[in-house]
Amino acid sequence: MSAASHASRTAVRERPSLLRRLLRSDQLAGWAFVTPAVILIAVFALIPIGWSLLLSLQSNNLIAPPHYVGLANYKALAKDPAFRSAIGHTLVYTVLFVPISVGGALAIAVALNRRIRGIRFYRLAVFIPLVTSTVATGIIFLWLLDPTFGLVNYVLHLLGLPQQQFLQDPNQALYCIVAMTVWSWLGFDVIIYLAALQGIPEDLLEASEMDGAGRWATFRSIVLPLLGPATLFIVVWSTINALQLFDEIYVTTRGGPLGSTTVVVYYLYQQAFQFFNGGYGAAIAYVLFVAILIVTLLQLWIGRKRVYYSS
Amino acid sequence: MSVQPIAAAPERFPPLPDAGPSRHRGRLPFSPWHLVLAPLAAIMLVPLIWMVIVSLETRQQATSFPPVLIPSSLHFDNYSAAWNAVPFGRFFINSLLYSLATVAGNLLFCSLAAYAFARIRFFGRNVLFVLLLATLMVPFQVILIPTFLIVKQIGLVDSVGGLIMPNLCSAFGIFMLRQFFRTLPIELEEAARIDGTSRLGILFKIVLPLSMPALATLAIIQFMWSWNDFLWPLIIIDSQAHAPLQLGLSQLQGAHFTQWNLLMAGTVMSQIPMILVFLLAQRWFVRSVAFTGIK
Amino acid sequence: MKRLILLPLLAAALALSACGGSSSTGSSSGASSSAKSSGGSTGGHTTITLWEGYTETEATSIKALAAEFNKSHPSITVNVQFYGNNDYALQKVLAAIAGGKPPDISYLYGSWAPNIATNPQVVTLNKLIAQDPSFNWNDFWPAERNVATVNGKIIGIPALVDNLALVYNKKLFKQAGLATPTPNWTWSDFQNAALKLTNPAAKQFGWAYVNDASEDTVWRFWALLWQAGGSILSPDGKHAAFDSAAGVKAATMLQTLAAKHAIYLDNGSDNYLSVFNNGHIGMLYTGPWDLSQIVQAKTDYGVTTLPGDANHQTISGPDNWVMFNNGAARTAAAWTFLKWLTSPAIDLKWATMTGDLPIRASVAKLAGYGNFTKKYPGIATWASNLANATQSRPQLTVYPKISTAVGQAVQSVLLGRAQPQQALSQAAQQVNGILAAPG
Repeated sequence: MSAASHASRTAVRERPSLLRRLLRSDQLAGWAFVTPAVILIAVFALIPIGWSLLLSLQSNNLIAPPHYVGLANYKALAKDPAFRSAIGHTLVYTVLFVPISVGGALAIAVALNRRIRGIRFYRLAVFIPLVTSTVATGIIFLWLLDPTFGLVNYVLHLLGLPQQQFLQDPNQALYCIVAMTVWSWLGFDVIIYLAALQGIPEDLLEASEMDGAGRWATFRSIVLPLLGPATLFIVVWSTINALQLFDEIYVTTRGGPLGSTTVVVYYLYQQAFQFFNGGYGAAIAYVLFVAILIVTLLQLWIGRKRVYYSS
Repeated sequence: MSVQPIAAAPERFPPLPDAGPSRHRGRLPFSPWHLVLAPLAAIMLVPLIWMVIVSLETRQQATSFPPVLIPSSLHFDNYSAAWNAVPFGRFFINSLLYSLATVAGNLLFCSLAAYAFARIRFFGRNVLFVLLLATLMVPFQVILIPTFLIVKQIGLVDSVGGLIMPNLCSAFGIFMLRQFFRTLPIELEEAARIDGTSRLGILFKIVLPLSMPALATLAIIQFMWSWNDFLWPLIIIDSQAHAPLQLGLSQLQGAHFTQWNLLMAGTVMSQIPMILVFLLAQRWFVRSVAFTGIK
Repeated sequence: MKRLILLPLLAAALALSACGGSSSTGSSSGASSSAKSSGGSTGGHTTITLWEGYTETEATSIKALAAEFNKSHPSITVNVQFYGNNDYALQKVLAAIAGGKPPDISYLYGSWAPNIATNPQVVTLNKLIAQDPSFNWNDFWPAERNVATVNGKIIGIPALVDNLALVYNKKLFKQAGLATPTPNWTWSDFQNAALKLTNPAAKQFGWAYVNDASEDTVWRFWALLWQAGGSILSPDGKHAAFDSAAGVKAATMLQTLAAKHAIYLDNGSDNYLSVFNNGHIGMLYTGPWDLSQIVQAKTDYGVTTLPGDANHQTISGPDNWVMFNNGAARTAAAWTFLKWLTSPAIDLKWATMTGDLPIRASVAKLAGYGNFTKKYPGIATWASNLANATQSRPQLTVYPKISTAVGQAVQSVLLGRAQPQQALSQAAQQVNGILAAPG
């Protein structure tokens, strides 16, 4: 701007003072813009997270005065077989949940991105499971999948297929949870994809049609890359969420049967609020946090290389 | 730029703005997409349908297992009963205050921050972004007690303000808007900068108007989170006067016994505002006019 | 967009109005901007807070009783607040404790008592009780006194007592041509009936069992263990004793019945009650909390003691009113209220309003007791069954971990995935490790 042009004309003779440069610089603007958010998040999120780091170094039942035990909680975690199972269950869940929900959401968003009659109703219908409370969703699925009286087993019976135990079968329960959470979270990714699809310029699509490209080719080579930023966001967000699965487990299986749906955050909850091991629970949270951070950074790094931003 | 496609194309993806509601080719009286979308909608609507059915049943039918799906008579009085069983109006207002305030806060603060992360190069930008993102990676159960202590320190225990403060800005919104802002063509912004517009002006006059779908999405999501929030309100609110909806509804849910018909009536009523917000926000889900005519 | 400038103003306005709204009610509810805690004592008048998770009838009853107390005791105001239900309540109470301002009185599950007792602000009641002979601590049932006492310190006053009894569907028994259960039933009588009442084709089960591996699964097993003559831990409390022959006998009964599909395995959502009321289950082991539903469903039911060979022991799950020390004045006020609330006359009133069992043995001798038993047919059996609740669960801070280990074992037997001896021995090993661990 004016400082820059001034500087270019007077480069040989003098430069604006450091203060002036600072005031007009991107540094100040950048920090000014982020300050309100940073203050709010620092006070209400970063400080509490720091507090729980301290908690993880204590033996603390959240009731009596605690005492510090250094890294004892972490050392115990490393030897804890239940924790290892929880990690395994969480990974299985995440690896299934993320691709299915992201892929499904993309397909549905594409289907919903058109102007046929009643499209607003269809979009609303896809949104509904999202606003349904977790408690209500849990009850519905518990009924649908009940081994004796459930609707799904009834349909299987009509089709001559064997009855399943679903949420009461240690080998099936986790997959049922995947289905339940995909169904209830689809709307979330769909509305983000829908918003992203609005941003695709029509002239690009027209040009592609003019070149004789079929719909699928247009989709693959134009729409999909342009959805890159949204896809990256949704994948990162879904992964962060999937690794922290809790509510749906709490309202249905409570970590069972036989611990087959005990995921990391549920195990944390058990430790902190059932066994009164607050410090141990905080240590679990920190290990999880580090894991999520690494996974997210990895995803962002891959995204930086592969995602196309129009600027 | 008018275009005449060389070959007669089937219904285009997406359809041109001047297309009619459905460009059928005479094979089906409606768009074939209905065949896909209608069953999908049916599957998605199962919970709402079930909730409405249960909300119209007697207490006996409502607690029946297997559930009674076709009640003999419809009890609309469950809705007024639920409204009167707990101070519903008060809960509604508290939830409304909570949700609107957090939506307003997030839209503003996340836009500012996301714009900086997307467009301004400043020292420590990437590290700061990851730091903010990190706040999404710790489950709430772990930080609910320290958050409570901080809000208590500020003196906002048992007030709607205490509900709002920790939720005024979330890294989720910052991340999402940053992604959207980066997809916008930078030429518009650069042109405005050359014209001397301040960064704030660019944000409010150019970037945000082009980002209406993203802002509408953030508004919907944040509204939904605040509206459905249960655990934080439970921790911070003590008295009925300040309780929001989900906390209030939980009074219909006992340890051993739940009044399912009333609870479902209350839940259905509590979902109406979210549906309204969603429909309202659909207005901003239209293609931004500014795109046509660029190069 | 000028509209967007309004956003921060809107957010600020909303936040301020929300803050402002709370201070008007700051005197009787939680703290707002002042340093006032939830309650206070000014010039002879004391306000105390009571936290509870009651719903429906119990909720209206507690508020009615509090109002009655407030009227008859003008120098004290009891402010009743709802704190959520089940485990959520614990998180709220822990937050309040962390903040240093717990409520004056809180309803707390008996299973939390050993851990809650470690808090220095919990009021120990031994002295107060000793100073007041009219309080008559021994009038409370042994099971209640056990749960309220941790290492000799009395940290709570009983708020609720219950027990498991055998509830059966008379119609199904008649249809099967079976004699209805008697108080002298043995386990083989019970198993016979359960098997005869089972009909998979008609989706009918002889018995129901909550199989979510939580304490709900475990405490039923303890009743069976005691009936078979076993005990949970060794007398010194250092080793598990439930994997004895008695335990295996109990687990084998579960295995046998489950294998023949005679048990409706409830997943924890308590659907068994509806299934029972719909006439698909013959017998339940359950408590008085289900009674109102059964009566409303107009099921033709009967209640009797649990079957057993050597004895008919049952298990009870009492809960406590715990007092926190927020100063001498408020502690005194809280004690006055709790003494009043748990006095025989008021407790009979509560029982008649809610259908909860009387917490004192002397209530059965009061004049209005007949009205109570008439209003809730079958409740008298549960009340007298309290005499069979002779043993209690160990009052240890690590009990929740023990419960989880045993819960998994019982669940695996019911699902047919483990043999009784093997499952119990494995659980016993885990429990020994838990008991041996320091701290």
